[in-house]
Amino acid sequence: MTTPTYDAIVIGAGHNGLAAATTLARKGKSVCVIEKNETAGGMARNTTLAGGIQVPEIAHLLYNLHPKVTKELGLGSARAPLELRKLASVSLSEDGNHAIIRDGKAEMVDGRPHPEAAPFAELMRRLTLFAGLLGQLSTKSPPSFEGGLTSLNALTELGGLAKLGLDLKRIGKKDMREFLRVLLSNAYDLILDDLEDSPLAGALAADAVRGAYAGPRSPGTVFTLMYRMGQGGGAQLPMGGMGAVSAAFETAARAAGAEILTGYGVARVLVENDHAAGVVLEDGTRISARAVLSNTGPMPAMMLAGAKHYDVEAVRRMRNQRCKGSAAKVNLVLNGTPEFTGHNTDLAASRLLIAPSATYVERAFNPAKYGEMPENPVIEAIIPSLTDPTLVKDGRHVISAVVTSVPYGLEGGWNDAARERLAAITIATLEKYAPGIGALVIEKQVLSPACIEARTGAPGGHWHHAEMGIDQILTVRPANGMAHYRFGPEGYYLCGAGAHPGGDVTGLAGRNSAMQLLKDGVL
Amino acid sequence: MGQHDRYDAIVAGAGHNGLTTACYLAKAGLRVLVVEKNDWIGGAAVSRSLHEGWTYSNCSYVCSLLRREIVRDLELPKYGLQVIPYEGGASFSSDGGYFAYMSDHDALRREISRHSAHDADAYDRFSQTVIRQCRFIRPFLLRNAPDPTSLKPRDIGELLFLIKQAHGLGKKELGETLRFWSMSIGDFLDEHFENDLIKAHIAGAGIIGTGLGVYSPGTAYVLLHHYMGDVDGAIGAWGFARGGMGAISNALGACFEEAGGTIVTGSGVDRFLVSNGRVTGVALENGDEYRTPLVASNMDVKRTFLEHTEQQHLPTDFLKAVKRFKIRGSSGKLNIALDALPEFPAAPKRAPFLRGDLHCAESLNELERAYDDWKEGRWSQNPYFDMLIPSQIDPTMAPPGKHMMTVFVQYAPYDLEVGGVRAGTNWNGQTRGAFADCVFDKLEQACPDIRSKTLHAEIRTPWDIEQEVGLTEGNIFQGELTFDQLLFNRPVPGYAQYDTPIDGMYIVGSSAHPGGGVMAAPGANAAKEILRNIGKSNAMTGYAA
Repeated sequence: MTTPTYDAIVIGAGHNGLAAATTLARKGKSVCVIEKNETAGGMARNTTLAGGIQVPEIAHLLYNLHPKVTKELGLGSARAPLELRKLASVSLSEDGNHAIIRDGKAEMVDGRPHPEAAPFAELMRRLTLFAGLLGQLSTKSPPSFEGGLTSLNALTELGGLAKLGLDLKRIGKKDMREFLRVLLSNAYDLILDDLEDSPLAGALAADAVRGAYAGPRSPGTVFTLMYRMGQGGGAQLPMGGMGAVSAAFETAARAAGAEILTGYGVARVLVENDHAAGVVLEDGTRISARAVLSNTGPMPAMMLAGAKHYDVEAVRRMRNQRCKGSAAKVNLVLNGTPEFTGHNTDLAASRLLIAPSATYVERAFNPAKYGEMPENPVIEAIIPSLTDPTLVKDGRHVISAVVTSVPYGLEGGWNDAARERLAAITIATLEKYAPGIGALVIEKQVLSPACIEARTGAPGGHWHHAEMGIDQILTVRPANGMAHYRFGPEGYYLCGAGAHPGGDVTGLAGRNSAMQLLKDGVL
Repeated sequence: MGQHDRYDAIVAGAGHNGLTTACYLAKAGLRVLVVEKNDWIGGAAVSRSLHEGWTYSNCSYVCSLLRREIVRDLELPKYGLQVIPYEGGASFSSDGGYFAYMSDHDALRREISRHSAHDADAYDRFSQTVIRQCRFIRPFLLRNAPDPTSLKPRDIGELLFLIKQAHGLGKKELGETLRFWSMSIGDFLDEHFENDLIKAHIAGAGIIGTGLGVYSPGTAYVLLHHYMGDVDGAIGAWGFARGGMGAISNALGACFEEAGGTIVTGSGVDRFLVSNGRVTGVALENGDEYRTPLVASNMDVKRTFLEHTEQQHLPTDFLKAVKRFKIRGSSGKLNIALDALPEFPAAPKRAPFLRGDLHCAESLNELERAYDDWKEGRWSQNPYFDMLIPSQIDPTMAPPGKHMMTVFVQYAPYDLEVGGVRAGTNWNGQTRGAFADCVFDKLEQACPDIRSKTLHAEIRTPWDIEQEVGLTEGNIFQGELTFDQLLFNRPVPGYAQYDTPIDGMYIVGSSAHPGGGVMAAPGANAAKEILRNIGKSNAMTGYAA
């Protein structure tokens, strides 16, 4: 038997794959990351439009990059530079009376305090507090309850949970009761219990369901809202575009000694004696390794190893995983600066939300359930070039729009006509708030959930690789019995967003899986 | 004020839960008065004769959840309660086909394979999961919900019981249980079945009475809420109370009066009298006042505290929590007197499953769209219904040869939208007629001659149910069955053990744990709690005090 070429191979150079690779490499392991695309970064990449403008291709903002990951990987340090700018959120109103959310506080566009500033601040206080508590669970493997609730192993886990319990106690009886009440509740009711149904409420409702296959009236959406607020909830714009984030992850990985091989797809994972032994590339090359980590979605990861290495139950669970993407990306190159009603350029540099009410957000999701496109979609748009002058070229700006409630399984399928229609709907919606914006558009890029799946491999084009429903998180993410990154054959690990704690550019799934692998003594 | 105006306890509202509490208190030796605003008792478990010769169970219409421990404790059969199980059911499709449900396993398997061989295999796995979840949850129905923020030995004891039960499931089942409780019925069925008609047939139980759609997480639990009952020990079975649902209330009423209790009908509570944070009595709408140190309100939590209690007696936080408690009207009902049994052309003549629950929903998407209509304040343009003809099994419901049909309709909004305004008062003769027409159109999918056989139809909207029965928004569960309103959150976090901020005052209706569905569990649990608090021994034998 020959010595394996690497200690570990990571399939996919998304940020989680790179985080896993860095974590392993920093422990002195030899690691090779294999990426099918020509560049690393997965969903957090830049693309070039209109002869040279840098555009965040899919993801465009950071919310949840975990400080532990930043620190461990050295992101933002001289080793892997990364500069972030905080953005305020502007929830647009057709009449120009926009609501602005800055540092968790609500104000009006003209600088007046928002009439609901007080209840909003109280709501944010609670949500941020609860999000912080839940955040404790994100940096560890989820509890497994191995051997039932009373075994030694479970007791250690419960010890970890006891810290959470203690912190829960510490927040006081009133907040603890509120936490237990809202945890599994729906965002719509929570928001409208305290706020009028206005753009302010709409902004929260939209944040609760962005990237999720749910409307704000669906139970479980308070959890997704809190998940997003894990690091306070503020949106951060990476200077140089999302590509800069991946570049930082990539730089950190290389600096730690990991190799990155781009432009090579993995055909399958080699399994010998029920142990991961390396990969076979699409061109037939075999690369051996003592462990393999997959940054793909859970189902593709299973298919790479071969379903025969899993029991029937596991295969069935994977097949039933909920991962219908519902967010599309529309990038528009504009021949000038767009003018928003009642808005100055300063505010146009913010995170712009089209979600005039929570009811609007719920209505937008209705058609998606039946495979139809929303006529009035919820949009989160940024014009990065207004904050980052390096992105402007010849006076041209780019509006990067995440359009939600766009179904992966569109009736009739995704073709050029459908994408054209989505672009038209997006421009028509923007036009209501920025009259004349349509005339500025000189180039369009439309990425449907199906396109996102084709480009990144994320199942269903789902941002989080798998829906972040209560039935698919923690101990049951990606599925009951598979929650600890160990994924079938020994030495095979899931390190993407489909694993605990889930999606967003957090870096945690990758980091945690590498830690679990090291702890398991595979290497 | 004479001695006759003074009672040991007063129960406000003679619904089945109020009567259950009253029975247990009276049997423990208390002098108990039940006051009821209507001229009849029963709340939403009533039999009414609204068309001569016919008996309508005009609110609740079938029985399964009524806890047998309570039936035994109170010896309800002695007072005339008889539950007749019915078997089977069917869903009719618009192309003239049907799917029939039957309780015989082999027959059911054959029927399912007629639609899909895959689903016939899947059904066993599906029903195993559901039964397992039912077994897990049933022990909790007659126990208090522990307060997780409390360190009292009793709460810790209850929490330990929960952990013990959960531990008994084993690791794999624990994960499955967590998952099941947070899933939507739509996703759960999609996981098991491929046939739309079969999925739609089962899914109904996940949305009945709720303001949720088949794809709303948490509806798998609602399904459980409809499956966890039993008729004579057959878990999941449903039956008719002979003589209509009023038979349950009447039996409870008779049991109560035999135990020495008094029922006053025809005048509702105007307000609860409170002094120094203690309840002191009840003032009725007709001006009568009764003194008592103990009040059990069978009214829902909103009605109790927002309409009949002076707000200065309540902490602001509590009031706020009561206001945000969600009680949403989502169901309507048609009670129909039939000249003869309607024809069901799709079904074999005299098919036994026609004596069960009949539906016309064809797919989960159809049900979800019905929900979308409701969200906007419209009744479902293509409604889901649960239709039964109880007179086939219980001939007391209609004159010889004639029949009685009950049609439960999901969804109908309480605050109907007309011309951009949403209000309960938008339900008038015209809108009610249009609503009934819409239901009849859909009924014709199963029985095309239904209109010609109809002698009389009572149309019940959520608005009507609220006006008559007193249930806020006409919600059949006295509060949505979502997780933020179950267990220790029901009805208000911190007041989930039937107690309230007012000393001596208790909530005993379905607003309290474990919720609605003619279960009588809230009423019995509350009685247990009251007796414990006043240091009286418990008359219950059915389950440990």
